Amino acid sequence: MDSKVSIESAVLPSDGFQPRSLLQKVTQWLADWLPALPILIVAYGLLVAPVVALLIQSFLSQEGGFTVANWAEVLASRSDRRAIVTSLGLGAVSATSSLAIGGPIAWFISRMLPVQRSVWLAILNMATNFSGIGLAFGFVAILGTFGMLTLAFKELGIPFAPPAPGSFWGLVLAYNYTNIPLFILLTISGMGILRHDWLEAAQTCGATQWRFWRSIGLPILTPFLGAGWLLVFTWSIGLYGIPFALAGNGATRKVTLITLQISDILQANISGQGNAAVLAIVLLAIAALSLLTYRWMIGRTAQWF
Amino acid sequence: MVLAERMRWIGRWGRWLLLATLLVYLFLPIVAVVLYAFSTKWTAHILPDAYTLKHWGSALSDVRLVDVALRTFVLAAGVTVLDVLLIVPAIYWQWTRNPKIRPHLELTAAIPFVLPYIVIAFGILSLSGQFIPTLQGTVWLLALGHVAIAFPFFYWAVDGAMAAANIPLLNEAAQTCGATPLKTLRQIVLPNVASGIATGSMLVFAVSFNEFALVQILVGARFETISLYSLDLLTGANADFNKLAIITCLTFVIVFFMSAASVYLNRGQTQTSRLVTGAKSTK
Repeated sequence: MDSKVSIESAVLPSDGFQPRSLLQKVTQWLADWLPALPILIVAYGLLVAPVVALLIQSFLSQEGGFTVANWAEVLASRSDRRAIVTSLGLGAVSATSSLAIGGPIAWFISRMLPVQRSVWLAILNMATNFSGIGLAFGFVAILGTFGMLTLAFKELGIPFAPPAPGSFWGLVLAYNYTNIPLFILLTISGMGILRHDWLEAAQTCGATQWRFWRSIGLPILTPFLGAGWLLVFTWSIGLYGIPFALAGNGATRKVTLITLQISDILQANISGQGNAAVLAIVLLAIAALSLLTYRWMIGRTAQWF
Repeated sequence: MVLAERMRWIGRWGRWLLLATLLVYLFLPIVAVVLYAFSTKWTAHILPDAYTLKHWGSALSDVRLVDVALRTFVLAAGVTVLDVLLIVPAIYWQWTRNPKIRPHLELTAAIPFVLPYIVIAFGILSLSGQFIPTLQGTVWLLALGHVAIAFPFFYWAVDGAMAAANIPLLNEAAQTCGATPLKTLRQIVLPNVASGIATGSMLVFAVSFNEFALVQILVGARFETISLYSLDLLTGANADFNKLAIITCLTFVIVFFMSAASVYLNRGQTQTSRLVTGAKSTK
């Protein structure tokens, strides 16, 4: 940073300037940090410190001493274990179906004419803006008891009921509304790497399309698709508003998730906050792990740019 | 040859079918919501029995709805202003005076992407309970929480704009001419990164406007926003799908407008922030 050095030498007496008194040191430090202090306080105070607090809380007993009882309790609890497994399963199913549907579609869109492609990208972007409680309502409006699809099947006399919005598969459908467009938008840049010449070259050598995909296409795209999968997975396990609105409360709830379990404990305001802290840390650990893997995957895509 | 042709035929139809299914899937919930906003009774057939405009009249004259909308709007606007005031000087300083600020901002900006909002909300609740109980349940704590979770969107938009405008060079020129840092910030830096600030502001506004987890956990019914009111209309004792449909339509239009405008202002720059927003606002 040449410019920085020259500015400082213009502002300060000399490069070798050493603040002598404590007051000068403090003034110097403030001059370096003051404009950034407010946002750093907010960021550390409301993003970093709360996580540390939760980590500590997960090891605190009711009386304030150190304990691993919270962890033991959560790991022994049937409903908490089921919540963890269901969250992981829902994330994996949602990410895998986004990959299976979004992957081919990303490929098709990447091969379209520019006008057609930008129309599709606009539609996908629009879909990602339909979110939160509004999106949950959208799925109640098509899958609920009086939902559009439910009524359609009934009226056409087809003995098939679409999954209820609060069921596992209903949640998958609602999650994928955002996840599939997101997966496509994330991987479409990677699809440009595969050049049409390569397919032609493979065909000249007598390879079938299937063979081309198995030996050339998929190996090249794997890091892109894997990164997309991990991101969708991470986002899915952290979702809270949509499952809260769809899955219902208490006895009517068919699906337990980590996020819902945390919220239950907080809303009930009983003494189980230590267990909620454990669940929060579990969620954090899963998200952090999968995001680290994501970073590693993204690193492997860098060679193509 | 016949087999190859048949394969190609299947491939073409499969592709068409997949794209058509996706379109139906993406538009069906929207169509259903819009129909609800205009339907009289809709419990028997694929389409509503009849259509009406009366829900719009009653919704727009509903005091609770107007209050909720105003509250959400003021909160989002306040959070946006705070983010602008807190972050722009920090980014300016990291570019021109103290590069050691950068790793701190980049590290903390990654957190809202690793941490689900419910975990952040729980953490803030627990921490504030120990140290500043008077702030608990107030809108101030919620506003600060929104400032924190929306800060990465603003940070990346403005940081990119500062890099593109070559702020260190402009700053050096201004200082050589004898301008004070504050004057440089106002007259040189701000005009040059205005589009970045506008982009970031719209993303921040959209995040706060649509946020659910922090609102529910930190304040709940004490400060009812559009998300909370929507939830009540969806699952509460006196659920009202017609009114909810109108709110959903309006929210969608506002959020869509904000994000489209930010994409437009940001055209030519990287897509990451936009993609990431879409996902996060669902939490």
